[in-house]
Amino acid sequence: MTERKTTHFGYQQVPVEEKAGRVADVFHSVAARYDVMNDLMSGGVHRLWKRFTIELSAARPGQTILDIAGGTGDLTARFSRIVGPTGKVVLADINASMLKVGRDRLLDRGIAGNVETVQADAQYLPFPDNTFDCITIAFGLRNVTDKDLALRSMLRVLKPGGRLLVLEFSKPESKLLEKVYDQYSFRLLPFMGKLVADDADSYRYLAESIRMHPDQETLKGMMSDAGFVDCEFHNMTGGIVALHKGIKP
Amino acid sequence: MTDPTFRAGFDATLETAINTALRYDPGSRARLGKLAGKVLGVNLTAPAMSLFLFIDDEGEGGYIEVHSRWDGEVTTELSGSALAFIQLLRNRDATPAKLGVTVRGSSALLAELQSTLRELDIDWEEPVSKLIGDSPAHQLGTGVRMAASWLKDALGTAPKATAEAVSEEWRMTPPQAQFEAFAEDVAEFSHGVDRLEARLAILQRKFAAQVKAASGKPGQEKR
Repeated sequence: MTERKTTHFGYQQVPVEEKAGRVADVFHSVAARYDVMNDLMSGGVHRLWKRFTIELSAARPGQTILDIAGGTGDLTARFSRIVGPTGKVVLADINASMLKVGRDRLLDRGIAGNVETVQADAQYLPFPDNTFDCITIAFGLRNVTDKDLALRSMLRVLKPGGRLLVLEFSKPESKLLEKVYDQYSFRLLPFMGKLVADDADSYRYLAESIRMHPDQETLKGMMSDAGFVDCEFHNMTGGIVALHKGIKP
Repeated sequence: MTDPTFRAGFDATLETAINTALRYDPGSRARLGKLAGKVLGVNLTAPAMSLFLFIDDEGEGGYIEVHSRWDGEVTTELSGSALAFIQLLRNRDATPAKLGVTVRGSSALLAELQSTLRELDIDWEEPVSKLIGDSPAHQLGTGVRMAASWLKDALGTAPKATAEAVSEEWRMTPPQAQFEAFAEDVAEFSHGVDRLEARLAILQRKFAAQVKAASGKPGQEKR
C-alpha cells in the first residue's frame, strides 16, 4: 500500500490534493467581508504594508504587472493608476469568489481598460514566458500548496530584470511582540471572525497558516533556490509582516 | 532602519493632507495638473529624510503622490535643512542659494511650485458647508474673515500704539523727538571725545620726541 503525500492546512495535515479545495472553502466563506475584516484585524495597517509594496515595485507607466492572489483588488487599483492606459495589470486569484468581489469593486471604482482578471493557480501560471515587469503576491503565498513550484512559475513569467514582491505574514522580531501577537491571533482573531463574518474557523485557519509559513530567512532562501537574485526582505511592524523582493536574472 | 510601516504612514498622511487642501482650491489644482509627470525630490539634511513628490493628473487637476523612494527620473532635486525649506516656501524674496539649498535639475519646476504655493487660496467654506449647511458656513466664513482682517490690522498697528502708550501715557520712555535730540547730543559728545583723544595723541608724540632729543645731548658729551 502506498502512503498518501500530505501537507499542512493550518495545524492539520491533509492530503496534498485536498489543500487547494480547503483553502478555497475558507476564501469562499470570507470573500464578501474580506475587506472589512482586513481593516478590523490589522487596524487599517494592511494599507500601509501594501503602500510600501507599491513603493518597492518601482512600477512605471506602460509596464505589465501581475497581482497574484489579488483578492479584492487593492494593489491592482493602485497599479492600474500607475501603469496608465499604455500599461496592463492582471488581477489573478485561484478563488472565483474573491475574483468576483475584486472585479466588481474595481468596476465600481471606475477602474477598467487596463485591468484583466484571470482565475489562475500560482503554481501553474497560464502566461507565456517573460511577460511581466513585476509580480506581487500579497498574503497569498502561505495558502499555496507547493510554494517552490509557485516561485518557479513566477520566475518563468517574469521578464529578465523583473521583480517579484512577496508580502506575507512572518515571524515577529521580538519575543515579547510574538507573545502578544499569539494571544491576539488565537484568541481575539477567531472571536472577531465569529462576530463580523460569523466564521470563527476560517479566521482560526488564518492564524494557524501564518505560524506554518516559512520565516523571513527561509523564504529568502526559497526564492534564491528558485532562481531569483538580489533577494532581500524588509520587516514591517516588528516582523509581523515581511516584504521579500527578488529579481529575475 | 525605521520600520517601513511608520514611513508609509507618514507619507500617506502627508499625501492625504496635501490633496484634501488642493481639492478646495481648484485654481491651484489646475495649475498643478499642467505639471503632470514631473517629480520633485526633497533631501532634508536636518532631520535626515528624503521624499519625492510625483505630480499626477486626475483629469480634474493635479494630484500629489508622496513617495519615500523613486527609481525613475527626478525633474528637480533639492537638498537642505527643513528650516531652509520652510523659509523658501514662506519668504517671497528667498532664493535657494541664499538659504543654502542646493538645486539639481530644472529650476523651472521649483519656480512654478513656489508660485502655486504662495497663491494657494483654499476655500475652507466648502468642506464646512458639507457639515453644517451652506448658510451657516457662509456666516461662519464671514465671521472668520472679519476676525482675521481685524487681527491683521491690530497686529499691524500694535507696535505703533504700544510705543505711544509707553512714552506718552505711561512716561516710561522719552518721546521719540526728545530721544533723537538726546541721541544727537550723545553722538556730538562722542565725536568731541574722539577729537580730543586724537589731539592728545599728537601732543603725546610731540612731547616724547622732545624728551628723546633732550636726553640724546648728554650721551654725545660722554663720547
